[in-house]
Amino acid sequence: MRSWRRNPESGLEAELRSNRPEPSRELVDRLEMRVRTHGRTSRSGSFRVAFAGALAAGVLTALASVGGLGYAATGASQAVEKAKRVVHVHTVTTIHNSAASDQYKKPKAKCRKGTHRVKGVCKRVKKARGVRFRRPPFTG
Amino acid sequence: MFKVDPLANPEPLIKRVYAYVAYRVGDGPDAEDLTSETFERALRYKKSYDSAKGEPIAWLIGIARRCIEGRPPTLELTGEQMETPDHGHLEDDAIRRLSVSGAVSRLEARDRELIALRYGADLTARQIAEVQGAKTNAIEVALHRALGRLRTHLEDDSPPVRKSQAGR
Repeated sequence: MRSWRRNPESGLEAELRSNRPEPSRELVDRLEMRVRTHGRTSRSGSFRVAFAGALAAGVLTALASVGGLGYAATGASQAVEKAKRVVHVHTVTTIHNSAASDQYKKPKAKCRKGTHRVKGVCKRVKKARGVRFRRPPFTG
Repeated sequence: MFKVDPLANPEPLIKRVYAYVAYRVGDGPDAEDLTSETFERALRYKKSYDSAKGEPIAWLIGIARRCIEGRPPTLELTGEQMETPDHGHLEDDAIRRLSVSGAVSRLEARDRELIALRYGADLTARQIAEVQGAKTNAIEVALHRALGRLRTHLEDDSPPVRKSQAGR
């Protein structure tokens, strides 16, 4: 009598696992070889990328040593400035100090009698004292 | 970011994928072709593997399923295509293997798929649920029913007890 009949649940499951179809050794070897070969190819691809990176770093170091990087940075900053100027949107500017504004400006309040505006502030100013004339001397 | 190589240890993966495919389409050259195709596709799209989404075997089984679905429908295993065990000439192990394969082949496509995933690819119910986009509980129930139907098929196939064995 078969094993799964004695212990139906686990027996049948064990039967299914033990009688699982297996690939031929040839297929396993072939696929394994294929996978490993592909892995090596992709690793060599990454080596190429690393080599290119190292080369770029070397070139940058050489440029930095002779001031090439500063020169390039200046060029870049100048280009940015130019671009800013081109792109910048100008707004309408109002000129406040013009002949018209001077003529039609709001009149300032008059200073009271006896005062004068000094630096925008009304101040009392003393009367200028005139020269006292004396009578000419009697000469006869 | 550090990437996991899904095909770092290929041998057990090859065996599990082959077992799954063989339970689906039958043991033989067709299963070998499909397994090879699965691994070719896996190598081509290796970069698309995301370890956060699941284990390499689940990813490979997904590819294998698409390979099987992409094949002509005549390739799907049918009960008539399976070899009938000749009890007089074969060893007991071989007879059992053929009986099990024959019984699996007579199951419905969904049951066969579940058996192939569980006992061929050796996935857990949870992994099967992830592959099929179902709930783990539903998969466990479906597996239990599929096993019940398989058992019925096996009992129908069982050879009559020989007189010599009966007399012992």
